[in-house]
Amino acid sequence: MLDYSLGIPEVDEITGGVPKGTNIMLLGPPLTGKHLLIRHIIYHTIKEGDSAVLVSTRDTGDEIIEWFSEYLEEEERSRIGIVDCVTKSLGKNIHDKDVVKYASSPVDLTGIGIKISQFFEEFIRRRQIPKTILCIDSVSTLLMYTNIQTLFRFLHVFTGRVKLAGAIGIYVVDEGMHDDKSINTLKQLFPAVFEVKTDGEENHLRILGLGSKPTPWKRYEIDGVEVVIKSGE
Amino acid sequence: MVTTGIPKLDDYLGGGIPPGKTVLYYNHPGVEGDIFIIHALYHNILAGRKSIYLTLSSDPQIFREEFMSLGWKIEEHAEKFILIDAYSSLIGATSGEEYVVDNPEDIGNIDRIVRRALDDSDENLLLCCPLSAIMDLCGVEETLKVVVGWNNMVGDRGQNIIYHFTAWPYPSEVLERIKEELFNAVIEIGGIRERVIFGQYFAVVKADWTRATGKTVLFKVVRPGGVRLYIPKILVTGPFNAGKSSFVRALSTKSVSVDRNNTTVALDYGHVDHKGMSADIFGTPGQERFDPILRMLSSEAMGIFLVLDSTRPRDFERAKKMLEMARSYGLPYIIIANKQDLDGALSPDEIRRRFNVPDDVPIVPTIATEKKGVFEAFELLVERIMEDK
Ligand SMILES: Nc1nc2c(ncn2[C@@H]2O[C@H](COP(=O)(O)OP(=O)(O)OP(=O)(O)O)[C@@H](O)[C@H]2O)c(=O)[nH]1
Ligand SMILES: [Mg+2]
Repeated sequence: MLDYSLGIPEVDEITGGVPKGTNIMLLGPPLTGKHLLIRHIIYHTIKEGDSAVLVSTRDTGDEIIEWFSEYLEEEERSRIGIVDCVTKSLGKNIHDKDVVKYASSPVDLTGIGIKISQFFEEFIRRRQIPKTILCIDSVSTLLMYTNIQTLFRFLHVFTGRVKLAGAIGIYVVDEGMHDDKSINTLKQLFPAVFEVKTDGEENHLRILGLGSKPTPWKRYEIDGVEVVIKSGE
Repeated sequence: MVTTGIPKLDDYLGGGIPPGKTVLYYNHPGVEGDIFIIHALYHNILAGRKSIYLTLSSDPQIFREEFMSLGWKIEEHAEKFILIDAYSSLIGATSGEEYVVDNPEDIGNIDRIVRRALDDSDENLLLCCPLSAIMDLCGVEETLKVVVGWNNMVGDRGQNIIYHFTAWPYPSEVLERIKEELFNAVIEIGGIRERVIFGQYFAVVKADWTRATGKTVLFKVVRPGGVRLYIPKILVTGPFNAGKSSFVRALSTKSVSVDRNNTTVALDYGHVDHKGMSADIFGTPGQERFDPILRMLSSEAMGIFLVLDSTRPRDFERAKKMLEMARSYGLPYIIIANKQDLDGALSPDEIRRRFNVPDDVPIVPTIATEKKGVFEAFELLVERIMEDK
């Protein structure tokens, strides 16, 4: 098994894991649980003893920490770093904390970048945690406030930093919210795609670009922090 | 002159920013350079200068509160600080500011409001704005054309503009033009990287009114307080019982020593925060059996204090050896003539003669136990470390 895994054994076995430095797009239509998949991946990462940085454009840092407090001990939660792009954009003043740092708004790419770098330094350099993941949930929200070239430049820098740090990056993109051109532009940055779809009743997932061929579609459900793969297609 | 709000940077710029000049902070992504703008605004507001900030990515009220997080109060000077609000309309909120950009994606709209704000003030004015954020919204070429117009305008009137620019991967000819052509001065703010950014620096790349370019300074940001020149590692070495641990303690706001029976067996550590400069200092043991620790501690050091007991010239040979062990990289150092309060203490001049100290190496008299002379010594060494770069 390679350096990282997604914590879904049925899938990790096929791909052989995720090499360090990989940037993955998590792509799928709204309401397929991408949001919870990210939390599952973070949970799994923390349980492995690694660290995780989550850029959140929807939930506040406090909400996320509270959610995780049901599943993780305090020491484990201290290995999560959240870049909260929500709280200050609503005009609420608040100072950075150990586990949550605040960007001014989802427009503030400069600030978001600074906070990501600070968590990377804290985890990798200061606390000597060798492995970390960066999750951006979501790229689609950032795109509501910024044009595609601008966001591309931002992601270009940070996918590069992920490689340099030997981390992995996972970037949430809502399908159907952007034109094909934008999606294709973004795909240049992400050699691997974690794809989800729904047939109305059930959700399915597969991985492209890891291992020698795409994994077959698998039915899944999310139960708390666990991703449960159902048998059959 | 307009101040940058950072004394050392003002020094490098020959005292500050002369009337009519424009300055650009060229900020590599991920490095805390946006705070330099807040420094400039705050210190110019305090000096009674009308100061304007164009906000594009932060709620105006949140931006005002940034000053508070640094421990700075601006309420009393509220009339000197003006915000041009180009953020509220971007997120569909209403603005309470006097100057509002209704359509921040239209450079013409931004241009009109900025010019109105410049027209409404006399020459004693500083405008700060986020250049890359404007470029991102309005287009690179469109923005730069307007910026050239602003620069000419303030040049004629004696007003000043400081731009903040995050150096995202724009086309290289754009980056070059920004770095070389469009502004009177460019200050680069970057990170020292090894897997991750772990140190931050600023450097004067150009300033067309002074020759002091190429200076590089490490910094970090503390809250409250803001930008601090930062020296990650200063070594304190010297013979057994010379007063090294006492010296580290005297300088430090926080310190620890690993001592047994009053002699250091591993190291002393202290953090100094003094006059906008901060440093981590490491004291070595004095006894010979710990020399491997001295060698280890001296790697990555940026400067050295060599502490002598001024009453014990017989230890000077040992001191010389220790200095040689620590100085294999030709680091700047100064000599601390400690225990000046004791009978028989040699004066700095005598020490220079007996120790054969080169003329350009300062010898500072101290009484570590009474904190006498220690901060003077610190300032001198920091000065030498900075000049060395
Ligand atoms: N009178 C006087 N005593 C001092 C002065 N500086 C240090 N001392 C004393 O000298 C002794 C040694 O001081 P330390 O600071 O422990 O010396 P050190 O260089 O760290 O010693 P080692 O770690 O054992 O090599 C202590 O008793 C101090 O109180 C000074 O300026 N004047
Ligand atoms: Mg000692």
